Amino acid sequence: MTAHDVMTSEAAPGWDTSSAFPAVAVRAVTATKVYGKGDTAVRALDEVTLDVPAGRFTAIMGPSGSGKSTLMHCMAGLDSLTAGHVLVGDVDLASLSDKELTRLRRDRLGFVFQAFNLLPMLTAAENITLPLDLAGHKPEAGWFDRVVDTVGLRPRLKHRPSELSGGQQQRVAVARALASRPEVIFADEPTGNLDSRSGAEILEFMRRAVDDMGQTMVVVTHDPVAAAYADAVVFLADGRVVDTMVEPTADRVLERMKGFGG
Amino acid sequence: MWKTTLKSLGAHKRRLLSTCTAVLLGVAFLSGTLVLGDTMTKGFGDMFTAANAGTDALVRSESEVGDADFSERALIDRSLVDEIAAVDGVAAAEPRIEGSARIVGADGDPLGGNGPPTQGGNWIADDALNPYDLSDGRAPAAPGEVVIDKAAAEQGDLAVGDTTTVRTPDPIPVTIVGLVTFGDADSQGPITYTGFSTEQAADLFVPDPGEVSSIAVAADPGVSQTRLVQSIDAVLPDGVEALTGAQLTAEMEDGIQDDFLGFFETFLLVFAGIALVVATFSIYNTFSILVAQRTRESALLRALGASRGQVLRSVAVEALAVGLLASVGGIAVGLGLASGLLALMSAMGMTMPASSLVVAGSTVVTAVVVGVVVTLVASLAPAVRAARTAPLEAIRSVAVDGSATSWLRAIAGAVVTAGGVAVVIAGAVGGAVPLAGLGALLSLVGVVMLGPVVARPAAGVLGAPQAARRGMSGTLARRNAMRNPRRTASTALALLVGVAVVSLMTVVGASIKKSIADTVDEQFAGDLVVVSDGWGLGGLSTELAPAIGDLPEVAVSSAAGNAPVRVDGDDTVVSTYDPATLDQVMDLGVRAGSMADVGVDQIAVSQEYADDHGLALGDPVPVTYPDGVSERPTVGAVFGEEDMFGGVLLPQAAFVPHTSQPGDVAVMITLADGVSEADGEAAVQGVADRFGAPDVQTGAEYTDSVAGEVDQMLNVVYVLLALAIVIALMGIANTLSLSIHERTRELGLLRAVGQTRRQLRSMVRGEAVTVALFGTAGGVGLGLFLGWAMVEALADEGFTSFAVPVTSLVVVLVVGALAGVLAAVRPARRAARLDVLEAIATD
Repeated sequence: MTAHDVMTSEAAPGWDTSSAFPAVAVRAVTATKVYGKGDTAVRALDEVTLDVPAGRFTAIMGPSGSGKSTLMHCMAGLDSLTAGHVLVGDVDLASLSDKELTRLRRDRLGFVFQAFNLLPMLTAAENITLPLDLAGHKPEAGWFDRVVDTVGLRPRLKHRPSELSGGQQQRVAVARALASRPEVIFADEPTGNLDSRSGAEILEFMRRAVDDMGQTMVVVTHDPVAAAYADAVVFLADGRVVDTMVEPTADRVLERMKGFGG
Repeated sequence: MWKTTLKSLGAHKRRLLSTCTAVLLGVAFLSGTLVLGDTMTKGFGDMFTAANAGTDALVRSESEVGDADFSERALIDRSLVDEIAAVDGVAAAEPRIEGSARIVGADGDPLGGNGPPTQGGNWIADDALNPYDLSDGRAPAAPGEVVIDKAAAEQGDLAVGDTTTVRTPDPIPVTIVGLVTFGDADSQGPITYTGFSTEQAADLFVPDPGEVSSIAVAADPGVSQTRLVQSIDAVLPDGVEALTGAQLTAEMEDGIQDDFLGFFETFLLVFAGIALVVATFSIYNTFSILVAQRTRESALLRALGASRGQVLRSVAVEALAVGLLASVGGIAVGLGLASGLLALMSAMGMTMPASSLVVAGSTVVTAVVVGVVVTLVASLAPAVRAARTAPLEAIRSVAVDGSATSWLRAIAGAVVTAGGVAVVIAGAVGGAVPLAGLGALLSLVGVVMLGPVVARPAAGVLGAPQAARRGMSGTLARRNAMRNPRRTASTALALLVGVAVVSLMTVVGASIKKSIADTVDEQFAGDLVVVSDGWGLGGLSTELAPAIGDLPEVAVSSAAGNAPVRVDGDDTVVSTYDPATLDQVMDLGVRAGSMADVGVDQIAVSQEYADDHGLALGDPVPVTYPDGVSERPTVGAVFGEEDMFGGVLLPQAAFVPHTSQPGDVAVMITLADGVSEADGEAAVQGVADRFGAPDVQTGAEYTDSVAGEVDQMLNVVYVLLALAIVIALMGIANTLSLSIHERTRELGLLRAVGQTRRQLRSMVRGEAVTVALFGTAGGVGLGLFLGWAMVEALADEGFTSFAVPVTSLVVVLVVGALAGVLAAVRPARRAARLDVLEAIATD
């Protein structure tokens, strides 16, 4: 690994260029995840330290097996670390029970997965308000309308997922993530199952959510085009942060990826 | 293909195990019933064989009247004993003088009387002709001395030397001088026995000491039973017959089969059938879901070149394996069930003649065939569906919910259901029970067809309250119940069948109770009643009614009894009454003539009986009495209400001279003016105590006691139905588990976006409750309707009132919902344990 010697587990210099001291939405501190034991142990995350700035669009990239999904799962409270810490705001996830973690996901985080994002027996509108309904909260009418209009779903609200195209389904998923005004939205390959036009649309919405609504967005992807929508890209390889890139373009990202030989 | 099938069996062990359990329980019930029936048949057969072991021939009157339950045979001349003893080949001939004798235990309560005979008779000295052996004390030698069987002695806490009372039904004071055994057994099965001296037996059981019940004959060595009977036949007068010991045994076996065992076995088989029907739904469901889950697998097989037939066969073989395994297990469990039931019956005082369990080849074959066929039939539709999988479906990733709400199904289902309902109503109104039964079956088929069509809206309605109350979890539960109507329907239908039968029985039970209460209310004009607590022709002494009538507190005391007779060619049991007093305690709605004026050469009939038999006041009716005498009394009165006493009433004075052991079944009492019910009851009870202490009741108490008996019967039915309900609940649990397995990804998503474990469990429970409520509500509805039909169809049999037991049915609904919660416990727990990450991981 060429990057091994240049990279430390600290955030790379130049990371903070866009503003003086932006607030940190999620922080990983020497986050380590080991699967298995003894000889068969695999270090999926190896002392990763990373700050996700609030109100920014951060992409996490890396070849398959680099640990990018594991990192996201651990930051989102879906998986637990073997060592190290993840802080959402000022809450250390390791200190939370399953119930508290669930609440945290429900009230403070939003999710967009690659596929199977929606419940088939609920309408688009019901899927959007699902986390709020689970919490027993009423959606703010103004905010709900704004989110719906942002993703252009107004005419589809009464439809079931089976009546929506793949792109429309992902838009519903994005709207759901936005609806509860979470501190952070985690998206795991949100465009992985879409054609390039629908994919571009989704990324456009996510970009707008960051720009217009001040949403914090973390996207895990292996697609340089998707990563180009981000404010910054964090590159992972072998469970370590090997590089970061500010104001990425698809070409630069692709170039950088080639450097990993992955 | 074989290897794949076996592998698949192994892979679905857990689900197949619960399918197996459903079949197994049904088969266990079936084989248990068959084994129990065979065992009891053999037990009774052995018992009768032993009872008649030394009897090579029996001589008795040819004349017998009465119905299958109660009949009485005419007596024969005692002088025949000596004539027969003189016949060539006869070693011994002994007179048998028999009747009913109820032993009163040390605590004052009479023993037995709940069905099996309470036999009394003369103690026969000849050992070969007496199936009982003296084990303690000595034989009765004089009036007032008796021997009783050891089992009765133990039950009644009596010993040699004790004095007690025997009700014949007049109370006879006796001293127990000996205890007897029946071969090795303490009693002849459930029968109690009292042996008197021949002199006293003649006094008690036959009107004339020159008569006997029958004559038992033993043959000389080397003389066959057939030859013996031929020789005896030569000396017998007309109207007297001789039959071999073997024939007698066969006759007794047939009798117990007709009276008790046949009914008992059919009764249990009905419930085994219900359990199997319910199991069928469960199996169908499990296989449907397994096949749906394996769509990709089947499609892959098809893509790789497996033919439809091969895919079909692989599912069929799986079903065959499940059916076989479950049937074999079911037989084993059935054996346990049979011996458990025997033990239970004996614990409840219904001692059956002992025999080791009889496992007939036919039982094994029947159980296996039924188990396998049920499984195969239930898995047929899913198997065909699996075979239809297009090879392309292997590549399609999302399983599409199988919607089953086609118009064709809706229309066909509606037509069949409507047809069934119409047939039921026609049968009910016309009093045609078989027609109503056919309609019930048709309705059920219609309901099964309509199930998937109705499931979605029904689950929507039934799930609405919890969706409104329990927020998102409730909404999700409701939607889950609605999303796969075919699955929801077949899961609920299993419960529906069980609950429908429970509701039907509850409605019928309530209607019986109400019919009796209404009849008593409307027709009983007296204050108190004494009813024989025993099972028999007449458990009350004929001296009781006059003795009560003598009390100053009592204005009228009127006795009624049962009479086995042949009326107008029908062998039947009719009622006897006291013309002088009946009018004052009972309002039967007289239409013609006067009940009080019916003389000894007359009878009273109901309007309905008169209409059916073309009779009018003054017409003669041929009647044959137990002693073989035939007369032609004329119709002296026609009455309207036949619910209490039936269609024919004989004046007591006309019947008593023709029976050997007269007795009453009820004494109806009107108290004198100014006597309080409590005072009157105390006075009457004082008299009753002298006659073996039968209970004195008010009309309401009598109604309550009958209601209590009905409830007891219902409880037995509920216990038998519990198995079907358990199978249905296992079906719900199983379906839920499979659904959860299918929805792993969805559950993962829900947990990821913030559903707590508690909310997840509540969601799973909610779905189960909705499905359970669907089945329970449908079952209660169907049961209510069929119950009405049954009551209506049986209006002629005394079902005069239709009652809806609202409380009981509400209890059924609540229990159904709670059962849903119970069924969801394990699936919900397993769903909540789900690893979120694993669930959402994309493959």
